[in-house]
Amino acid sequence: MSKLRSVIRHEYLTIIRQPSFWIVMVSMPLIIGVIIGLNYMSNQSGTERIEEVARELETVVVVDKSSLINKDVVEQSGLSLGDPSKTDTLLEAVREGESQGLVVFPEDLASSQKYNIYVNTSDITTISAVTSLSDNLLKTSLFIPLGSPEIIALAQNGASSTLTFYEDGQQTAGFNEYIAPGLFVILFYIIFAFSVGYMLTSISEEKENRSMEMVLTYVKPRTLIVGKLLGVSLVTLTQLVFFATMGTIALIVAQQMGSLALPFGLDLSQVVLDPVTLLLSTGYLIAGFLMFAGFMTTVAAIAPSAKEANNFSSVFYIGAFIPFYFIVMLVTDPKNPISTFLTYFPLTSPVVTLVRNTVGNMDPLMAWTALATMTLFMMLSIWIAVRAFRLGALEFAQTVRLSTLFTRS
Amino acid sequence: MKKSSSKPIVDIKDFCLRIGDKDIVKDLSFQVHPGEVFAFLGANGSGKTSTVRSLLGIYQATSGTLHINGKPLTPDTASRVGYLPEERGLYTRSKVLDTMIYFGELKGMDRDDARKFSLDYLKRVELDDKAHTRIKKLSGGQQQKVQLGVAIMNDPTLLILDEPTKGLDPVNRKLLITIVEELRKKGTSVIYITHLMEEVERFADSLLILKDGKARAYGTVKQVKKDFSSSSIEDIFVSIYNEKSSEVAHV
Repeated sequence: MSKLRSVIRHEYLTIIRQPSFWIVMVSMPLIIGVIIGLNYMSNQSGTERIEEVARELETVVVVDKSSLINKDVVEQSGLSLGDPSKTDTLLEAVREGESQGLVVFPEDLASSQKYNIYVNTSDITTISAVTSLSDNLLKTSLFIPLGSPEIIALAQNGASSTLTFYEDGQQTAGFNEYIAPGLFVILFYIIFAFSVGYMLTSISEEKENRSMEMVLTYVKPRTLIVGKLLGVSLVTLTQLVFFATMGTIALIVAQQMGSLALPFGLDLSQVVLDPVTLLLSTGYLIAGFLMFAGFMTTVAAIAPSAKEANNFSSVFYIGAFIPFYFIVMLVTDPKNPISTFLTYFPLTSPVVTLVRNTVGNMDPLMAWTALATMTLFMMLSIWIAVRAFRLGALEFAQTVRLSTLFTRS
Repeated sequence: MKKSSSKPIVDIKDFCLRIGDKDIVKDLSFQVHPGEVFAFLGANGSGKTSTVRSLLGIYQATSGTLHINGKPLTPDTASRVGYLPEERGLYTRSKVLDTMIYFGELKGMDRDDARKFSLDYLKRVELDDKAHTRIKKLSGGQQQKVQLGVAIMNDPTLLILDEPTKGLDPVNRKLLITIVEELRKKGTSVIYITHLMEEVERFADSLLILKDGKARAYGTVKQVKKDFSSSSIEDIFVSIYNEKSSEVAHV
């Protein structure tokens, strides 16, 4: 037990004492925040600049052959309406630089849904301003017959809806039921991205460092692997606490700024904590993590170097992301044979079961059978990992053949 | 054989090791007695390291028995066995002191005792200023000194050194030999694997020369010299490796 504790502590401290660990962990949310912020600011500033240029446009002429454009709207925009019979002359003026632009709405606008813009500039901001202005001109002209500004705004922007859900005659929390189990999907990917990779790195580095031989003199392979798994799990826990703290701070800031709007009418105050759903999600998460950790340990043990181990491991990373290609089918067509296959197939089962448990489209029999199957695969993967570790831990020159894993005593 | 009447600390009988379709070691038997320096010799690929790994329980013997203190070694009973493997390596990203304490704990030492031993040892080998340095920042020779420190932690009764002086400069080589001789005086048995015959001549009590997994010479240094009618271990080694495998070995 004390050796296991030593391995856990060593594994945990080795990782979290690396400056790169903290640099990556702290910089990741910061970089994401900065990118979102810069994107928002650049969009804001771009929009403002386009509006400013649009206000300064003086010599853009609008020719309306479709009779759909409202004359007052054109004049309010600061543009002038041209005579359709003089389109060629107006176009020549643009070509010669006497006019900034010409917008021609053709006779068949309603059927073709196309119109022409001519500008005498390559400045992207001016082009965007003319395009945006003419587009608004068309839309506003079409909405004018609706009457009041409120109705026009409603037609243009739509309205937000409040969703109320019923099931078996009772009002339910609807999409809010998805929040808690949905977090497990995110959690799985965080664990998958960090911990499973740490397991791979830890073992392949130990092989590369040639420290394995001394370690195995004093520690049983099973103790070493379990110790590493638990150490790496503690590292993940540290990361989760860090990310949860960062997330809570971001949530509080967003709430105070009044900019917290979740999609699909989600309301964090209405989170549902169903014990069975959460128990299943926890089971899928742990079994899935340990199964992938077992796979990675096997890869690291049989590959002669960290580089080759990384190459091999990509198969498992792909497996974990495959469910996203089938996400619509998994949610809307759970009885499809492909959905069923992905639910039980080891590489895809953790994510698929977590997603399906979130939307609640597995019956209890399937949910528990999937957990039992995944647990079996998890035990098998750890068994193979320990065996691979015994055979491959001291193999520094070549890859251990998979057939050897099942034949050599 | 020195102290042949005492109970052997290492007792290997009829040991065979087969990996895949290759016989690595064939019917090997030898003993190492308390306080003895046993030179385990052989060319590269002769089966020395595989024998040591089997003795330490890392490899499973195909047949025969390999006992340390009367029983097979397991990680649970290896606390007083020190091992410096041929494949050198430490946790390059960890600090020197942390690594030594970790191995001390794995060998069953109390954390405080492991720390005290490590600091004393680092001072002795003039690495005390490197205690909090990451191992990857040490030179090869410095790393080797740290690894020897790990091997001799917890007052070993048996020390297995696989080419311990390989890559060391003369100063550090002398330091290592001094440390090993001190341990020997304290009663530690040493299995010493080397290609340097002057080291064997200098402080080995007994030896075994392995060729193609088989013992070709075994006994005290004096006895082996007498058997081969030679005054030089190096000459004996060369003659064994030059003889045809069909010739009878002096075992």
